[in-house]
Amino acid sequence: MNIKIIVKRLLFFVLVVWAASTIVFFIPRLSSRNAIRERFGELARSGGFSPGDIEKLIASMQQQFGLDKPMLEQYWQYLGNIMRLDFGYSLSKYPTTATEVIAQALPWTIGLLLVTTVLSFVIGTLLGAVAAWPKAPSWLRGLATPFILLTGVPPVIMGILLLFFIGFRLKWLPLGGAYSAGIVPVWSWSFFLDLMEHQILPALALILGSVGGWVLSMRGMGITIQGEDYVNFAEHKGLTGGRIFRDYYLRNALLPQVTGLALALGTVITSAVIVEGLFGLPGIGTALNLAIRANDFPVIYGIVIFITIAIAALMTILEFVYPLLDPRIRAN
Amino acid sequence: MANITMPTDDQSVRQPGTAVLILRYLRRNKGLALGVIILLALFLFTVIGLLVINPKHAYPLSAGLKQPPSLKYPFGTDFFGRNLLAAMVVGMWQTALIGLLAGGIGTLVGVVLGFTSAYFGGWIDSTIRTICQILTPIPVLLIQVVVAGSLDKRDVTIFTMALIVAMLAWMGPTLVIRAQVMTMKERQFVAVAKLSGVSDMGIIFREILPNLLPFIAAAFVGQVFSAVFASFYLAVLGLGPLREPLLGNIIWSAQSQGAFFNGWWWWPLEPAFAMILILGALALVNMGLDELANPRIRKSE
Amino acid sequence: MTSKDVVYTFEGQIKYDTLPYHIQFADQVASVTAKDDLTIELKFKAPSPRFKFEVLTEKFDTGIPIVPAGYLSGQADPTKAPGRNDIPHSGPYDIVAWNTNQKIYNLREDWWAVKAGRMAEPAVKRVVIVNILNQPMDTVAQRIVNNEFDSSVDMRAQIIGNILQQNPEVQSWTGTESPYGYLDWWPNSLWMNDKLEPYSDPNVRKAISLAVNRDQINEVLYEGAAIATIYPFPLYPNLKAFADSPEVKAEEAKYEPGKYDLDESAKLMEGAGWAKNGDGLWEKDGKTFDATIQAFENIHGDIAPILAEMLRQAGFDSNVNFGTDAYQNMVDGKAGLYMFGHGASLFDPFEALNLFHGKYSNAIGSSAGNNRFSRYANPEYDALLDAIAPLDSSDPKFISGAAKALGIYWRDTIDVPVIQWLHRIPYNNHFWKNWPSSTNVGLGTNGAFWAHTGMLVITGLQPSGAK
Repeated sequence: MNIKIIVKRLLFFVLVVWAASTIVFFIPRLSSRNAIRERFGELARSGGFSPGDIEKLIASMQQQFGLDKPMLEQYWQYLGNIMRLDFGYSLSKYPTTATEVIAQALPWTIGLLLVTTVLSFVIGTLLGAVAAWPKAPSWLRGLATPFILLTGVPPVIMGILLLFFIGFRLKWLPLGGAYSAGIVPVWSWSFFLDLMEHQILPALALILGSVGGWVLSMRGMGITIQGEDYVNFAEHKGLTGGRIFRDYYLRNALLPQVTGLALALGTVITSAVIVEGLFGLPGIGTALNLAIRANDFPVIYGIVIFITIAIAALMTILEFVYPLLDPRIRAN
Repeated sequence: MANITMPTDDQSVRQPGTAVLILRYLRRNKGLALGVIILLALFLFTVIGLLVINPKHAYPLSAGLKQPPSLKYPFGTDFFGRNLLAAMVVGMWQTALIGLLAGGIGTLVGVVLGFTSAYFGGWIDSTIRTICQILTPIPVLLIQVVVAGSLDKRDVTIFTMALIVAMLAWMGPTLVIRAQVMTMKERQFVAVAKLSGVSDMGIIFREILPNLLPFIAAAFVGQVFSAVFASFYLAVLGLGPLREPLLGNIIWSAQSQGAFFNGWWWWPLEPAFAMILILGALALVNMGLDELANPRIRKSE
Repeated sequence: MTSKDVVYTFEGQIKYDTLPYHIQFADQVASVTAKDDLTIELKFKAPSPRFKFEVLTEKFDTGIPIVPAGYLSGQADPTKAPGRNDIPHSGPYDIVAWNTNQKIYNLREDWWAVKAGRMAEPAVKRVVIVNILNQPMDTVAQRIVNNEFDSSVDMRAQIIGNILQQNPEVQSWTGTESPYGYLDWWPNSLWMNDKLEPYSDPNVRKAISLAVNRDQINEVLYEGAAIATIYPFPLYPNLKAFADSPEVKAEEAKYEPGKYDLDESAKLMEGAGWAKNGDGLWEKDGKTFDATIQAFENIHGDIAPILAEMLRQAGFDSNVNFGTDAYQNMVDGKAGLYMFGHGASLFDPFEALNLFHGKYSNAIGSSAGNNRFSRYANPEYDALLDAIAPLDSSDPKFISGAAKALGIYWRDTIDVPVIQWLHRIPYNNHFWKNWPSSTNVGLGTNGAFWAHTGMLVITGLQPSGAK
């Protein structure tokens, strides 16, 4: 891989972030709504300010957010800020910045989403590969079906059912929260166990619903691959079933699957909005949901851009890994 | 649901001819058969339902309150006094409409662009691919939320929902189709066809397109999937047409009234069950299409 | 803390226009002086018989906390000084931990009220306030039933009823009986911008009022409890006496504010030049009647869709907007209906009626003050209010004047009163007892832990013995 390609890929990464930032910048400005006014109107409703003086406050906030300047100037300033990962102040948690809000929420989401995404990817890919492999035992192939059916269950229903039966009726697992109320987080074994206990149900709600997607796409790929001549050739060469499965079949079918992994991040975040909400977890999904409810646009856009950056970075890395997985592309 | 025409179309292309052949094939391909049967049942439920029920009863204050399923109300009624049978029929219709509309638009654009891009390569490919790739990582749903949130409430209808959902949904299929055509271009049969002097169009329509159908179908199913899900999410955030009995809206209002805790289990579970059936059936059809479209597998079975 | 601190607090309200009682102080107070450590003298610009109650009393769950002059006067901007434990405070608990998940308070060893012998040492040594983030209410309800929580924010009637059923240790303000809560001061109306077409026509407003079926609201939402109302103020004892006075009863009989009559509503609409289209919706000049209700999902999630449907059945093209722009639309006076309360009267009806005084009715385009969305302007009404403003609320002239003003409120349908507001808070006796209720009023009728009086509820709790 030469320097030119690397530069090209990095340029691409920058373009993605630029495109997302630009969309995010212009959409709210196309509508006549004024987020700062709306936000302070809400505050006035809860009695934080005396009514007549909100206008003054709004004007000073507009200035602080640079909204009194011409749009193009705002845009340049905004792009500059994004390069420094500076999304401005949170409107609902002023003077906390949007970046701080994201940073506080991030560890919770990374912990939950990383584990669930990896688990459902591995389980789903293997089940999908097996489901498409004619020589696999039929009970193993049948295992894929319930997961495929479960994809149809909306995460919100999955979460409610898990909460109701396992948490509420059986009392096996806690009904929400990141850890037990009244506990101060410390690095100890008992805190870790308590923490884990609170993550099981939300993780289940996410995994059960997402395995099926991987099963489906892997199965589709697998079926195409096994018709290929090189698989037939390997069979005739007398290689063992396990070897063919691993080296010829799984490896070739994995390619589009891995591409899907980066894109799945965007989908998983949307499930996280629902699941974190249901379980009262303080992650990115909850931060986003609360920001949407409070119309806290620096946080909303900060999260959108941040997630975009994460996905784009992952994709760029995969672009580098791609040729390693598919020798045919490497040859070109 | 009308998308059951999808598999039958395929079959008529592949096995020109008779219903007998199709039925015989469906007996062998049980997953596809089951999927088609479920979709057919849902389709009948909706069509017959639309003929029988009074659509007015799908809206609040038109029936008794919080009635469990009974002879008078086979699906029960909700907190707001909707007859859930009527609500489910209308909701199925609306959900299907959003799914098919948004899924159709997304897939069509995706197939055309993906094909053009991968097959012709060069600057066409790099332009389309770059635009797609730049837009793909952007979390579509969040953008949709922002757009839907900035609309005037009166403008949020079933159709604007479908458009919002379709707006940024075509990049996925484009990239998937493109990737498939790319690998297919490397395959022996295309190389053989090229060597034997088959024209570009000939290769596209005779060699590549048939092999691509499972992916197109999968993309379509995936698009319908995500369209239904996206509209559901928008509804959950209070950004959908609140009054309409969209399946997602029914679940949302049930949840916001604490239906499960209050013992009105039928209220959220019915639309959830319908959702499982719709998406599960689509998935089964999708699996069945894979087998159908790959002749070598069909032979070996 | 001496009268110096009180003077500092009041002067702050006059000086800083971001503080909540700035307008009242700036408009009415001429001077504040400390006579000695225990005496403060307020001089008013004009007779202000309601100032003490409206401004200085702890009401609306808030009121003015007296702040320490010594600490705040040292701050660059006292309105932005850090709170938490940095500011000297007289409360029983110190914050020891505060993050997104929870806030933990520990009892102060040296709480002055115990030392001074004013109160027994509180049994509750640690208070944990869990942030439920956006966890749905029914999951919170499950956590109360499972004894994870002792109390929570207020709940809808149906949910609290089920909590009581599923866990007999949980109680509400009214025991296990509906309506489960105590009357809040925030009765909700459908507000309208009385300056804007088509809402500027009193007949159209009356037509909307006639489409609201209050019996059905009680039946659908509150299991038959009489929650629907026709008044813009809560029926607290003195206000109830006012509402029951012969003067008010006469006005009520005259204007029938609670009447539900679709035929009469239709007649009024036809009279205003509207005709029903094919969908059965009122139409004029090719446009349907935009009756989008601006409301708030977390508090109006049950009532707003019901109201929208009632209006739709009467032919108004009604919908609900739960968006974040809802409040701004109210303030800006955009066309539509606004579901909102009246945070005004607690003792006599003056402040509620005063919400509709013409002097607050800004022109369209300027933002309406809090609770003054109607922009109603009528010299006859203003004159009535100005005449009773300096009168004591027990004065017969006050009562007859206020009744006449209320009559105009009904006659012109300034807004459409819909429901009284209740706080339905579950209290779990599993670990702690002595929660407030209608039979155990204790130190105040406000049992909300989030109000200023909430600490009194917590310090009064006794352990039940369960572990």
